[in-house]
Amino acid sequence: MLLRDDAFRRLCRARELLVEVHEDELSIRELAREVQISPYHFIRVFEALFGITPHQFRIQSRLDRARILLATGRHTVTDVCMEVGFSSLGSFSDLFARRVTITPSAFQRRARVMVQVPGTLPTELFPGCLNLMARLPASAFRNFREAS
Amino acid sequence: MRIKLTSIMVDDQEKALKFYTEVLGFRKKHDFPVGEYRWITVVSPEGPDDLELALEPNANPAGKTFQQAMFAQKIPIAAFEATEIQREYSRLRALNVTFLGEPTAVGPVTIAIFSDGCGNLIQLYQPANP
Repeated sequence: MLLRDDAFRRLCRARELLVEVHEDELSIRELAREVQISPYHFIRVFEALFGITPHQFRIQSRLDRARILLATGRHTVTDVCMEVGFSSLGSFSDLFARRVTITPSAFQRRARVMVQVPGTLPTELFPGCLNLMARLPASAFRNFREAS
Repeated sequence: MRIKLTSIMVDDQEKALKFYTEVLGFRKKHDFPVGEYRWITVVSPEGPDDLELALEPNANPAGKTFQQAMFAQKIPIAAFEATEIQREYSRLRALNVTFLGEPTAVGPVTIAIFSDGCGNLIQLYQPANP
């Protein structure tokens, strides 16, 4: 697909809107209208650009936010569920457990054990900038030495 | 010291491995589980074969903010050199890759920007013949 500048900007705007949490949440159809793309076309081009459907992106960004709140704050699982935009605790917990592989409360316990400095994120759960390297087996570096 | 490893943040490591190997055509070099993530690197079959690109999880919120802001400003996060950009462009278009424009001559290079479907824009470039 070849995306023109205008369509690219509208899709980026749509992605920003999908991250927001409101009491009257926009449906995907309303959101498409908001950025002036036809609803059918919208899902297709959104996925072509971002590699994920609008609906899945919204769910993913809520779960990402839930992970941070569970790891850093003193919120209960119910508070976190509401805060990130889910209305049912049951469906939030099910979804979280399916995607993150453990339940929200188990994740919270695990994260809290790892937090060394209050308010910071444990790098085991929120890695970035190559810090996974420190936990590789020594064999992972064999090729590095061979090449030198 | 030498430049041996560089990395790119991706929103889904499995999806990224598929795209960077099956679509872009890179070869998987390492794939180790690390906690709930993986250490995945790819190399280009066109070389140099000891220069690895790590497909890192963008699990850290700082990384995610950076990645999304760069994307929205249309700033590529990495650039790969093509020997024949027009041919590469046609090949990737046929594989459903989303481009933000056709290959365009800009100064001493011809460039085309595409989305990797993992949250990044990548610049494909071909230097002009000297």
